[in-house]
Amino acid sequence: MSARAESTSPLARLAGALASTPGARKLALAALAELALPNSRDDAWKYGATRLLDRRDLAPLAPKPVDLAALNARPALDAHRIVLVDGRLRPDLGSLDAPGVTLTDDLPSDLSTDPAFFGDPQSVDDRLRFLNGALCPSRVTLAIAADTCIERPIEIVLIATGNTAYPRLVVELGQHASVSLIEWHLGVGSTESLMIAHEDIHLAAGATLHHATLEQSGSRALAFGDIRARLAADSHYRHQWVALGGQHNRLDLQVSLEGAGAHATLTGLFMADTGSDHHLRTRIEHRAAHTGSDQRYRGVAGGRGRGSYDGKIVVHPGAQKTSSRQSSRNLLLGREAEIDTRPQLEINADDVKCSHGATTGTLDPQMEFYLLSRGLDPNAARALLTYAFVGDILKDLKPAALRQAIETQVLTRLPDAALLREFVA
Amino acid sequence: MTMTPPASNPPLLDIRDLVVSVQGRKVLNGLNLTVRAGEVHAIMGPNGAGKSTLSNVLAGRADYTIEGGQVHYHGEDLLSLPAEQRARRGLFLGFQYPVEIPGVNNVYLLKAALNARRLQQGLPEVDAFEFLALVRDKMKLMQMDESFLHRGVNEGFSGGEKKRNEILQMTVLEPTLAILDETDSGLDIDALKVVANGVNSLKGPDRAIVLVTHYQRLLDHIVPDHVHVLAAGRILKSGDRHLALELERRGYDWVLEEAAA
Repeated sequence: MSARAESTSPLARLAGALASTPGARKLALAALAELALPNSRDDAWKYGATRLLDRRDLAPLAPKPVDLAALNARPALDAHRIVLVDGRLRPDLGSLDAPGVTLTDDLPSDLSTDPAFFGDPQSVDDRLRFLNGALCPSRVTLAIAADTCIERPIEIVLIATGNTAYPRLVVELGQHASVSLIEWHLGVGSTESLMIAHEDIHLAAGATLHHATLEQSGSRALAFGDIRARLAADSHYRHQWVALGGQHNRLDLQVSLEGAGAHATLTGLFMADTGSDHHLRTRIEHRAAHTGSDQRYRGVAGGRGRGSYDGKIVVHPGAQKTSSRQSSRNLLLGREAEIDTRPQLEINADDVKCSHGATTGTLDPQMEFYLLSRGLDPNAARALLTYAFVGDILKDLKPAALRQAIETQVLTRLPDAALLREFVA
Repeated sequence: MTMTPPASNPPLLDIRDLVVSVQGRKVLNGLNLTVRAGEVHAIMGPNGAGKSTLSNVLAGRADYTIEGGQVHYHGEDLLSLPAEQRARRGLFLGFQYPVEIPGVNNVYLLKAALNARRLQQGLPEVDAFEFLALVRDKMKLMQMDESFLHRGVNEGFSGGEKKRNEILQMTVLEPTLAILDETDSGLDIDALKVVANGVNSLKGPDRAIVLVTHYQRLLDHIVPDHVHVLAAGRILKSGDRHLALELERRGYDWVLEEAAA
């Protein structure tokens, strides 16, 4: 690589800056220097603004003090709590004490001993995973023992203090274990931050995981999340994504259904506006017979907001009796708003039930006129219809305190929140 | 009670030479109609005569072009008011095809509608408890199930349920002028009686009801003071309730021929 190229590649600059980093991940850092960041010419990164990454300093800095106000701004829930600040586990800020639950904090010692931890640097899908693997300060593993049912939800709070954060999480549920995770992505005010979070989830046979990801970063935060879930027989993974904050968010959600009877229920919504873009990419792999997946997403974009849903379902050979549904409905509230959708099905088995649909449109003028004809103010009518559009996604959030808090957040983004509140009660 | 001679009663709704087009096509072509408080009018006519256009234009739907004429409501220029202002001043449209609005609660919409009207009248917001009692009372009148309270607006309602819901809204809002667009279509005879009951309960000296309908059968249950034939975008003939019976017997062609002669 020429000296000139080196000086312009963000990853090469990063590798140079971190050349003195101790430990075994030097190899990974060295490999980084040869790579390029994802960009919009890569099919997997067609939507969203990867150029924003190019402008940010990717090197993690020393952690800044935690702003407890940011931590405490989220609604109070009766829950266990794990807090990671800039990717570092902070036991002093959390509390988790339940039989059958273990929390460990380690780091693989070598690129060669745990290739999955880094992913394939040549694959553009793994590019940020590789970056995360090379730079995450620790790997935090939450393990739930077999046959353990954790009644209280566990909150996982990821905070970016204005730094570049590379959280790495592993969640493992033993056979027939069940737990509910509420994961917050928080930022600090309007501080510039970048979070590249990677999560591996393993559900053993019969396990049930309810997992909510609540994107609440600050107005200048970039967040790139990546969740990879593997589901054994008869396990159930339910994921809910609510993206309301941040300057630019992207979630890559890969679910691999590997045992008969495994099922994934994936729902979510985003609300984009000028200066707040949201992008979702899902990949559902049906690798065993009798597996099911159900996706239901809603997107709203106002102002110059951008959003996208890029969802692919792959039914592998032999995955007979698979049932797979995918729905993405999107609402544009402004002439300059844009939402792109790309639903894809790849079916390699003959006895399957698959359906998909993606729509993007504006508010229904007939509904709007109906409300006006009953005396509602035009702004209130539009706000009400917007709320109704996302309402059936919100109503599934649990516990009730979380649902109410998120409903309130959605309402406050709409005009006439006071009137609308009546409809929500 | 003394009857006020109708002619001295100032018009509630006064339509003069109304010309309306939809996408460049003239649908109403010089329509005149005067409705006074206390009256029930029936506007009948063949399909495509402009009946629904008239209802929608009066309610303030945007996709029509007013080419000419005037409409006064309570002496005010109705056409210059946006739809929500017309509703708040007591004009109610019962839709021919009420739209389903999933996620918007039926009863909360009704409450918001009632409060919008009360605000206009300078009244305080309705008390939540009294409101529920009122709605329950009217639901009984309309023979509607308690479950309607918790459903989305018209969500999953049958055709008949949607029409009952329209009349339920009307009885709660107590409009000054109710325009009911083909409220009888799609109703079986029992539902028709229930709907007619609801409409009749609203009759009063201060209100007027305009029934837009294709068939006479609704008028067996709601007796009109005036019957008009709307065809080719104009009121071609007016009469009393006997005109409706004659139309039922003879159809509309003779009115058109008479007008052409």
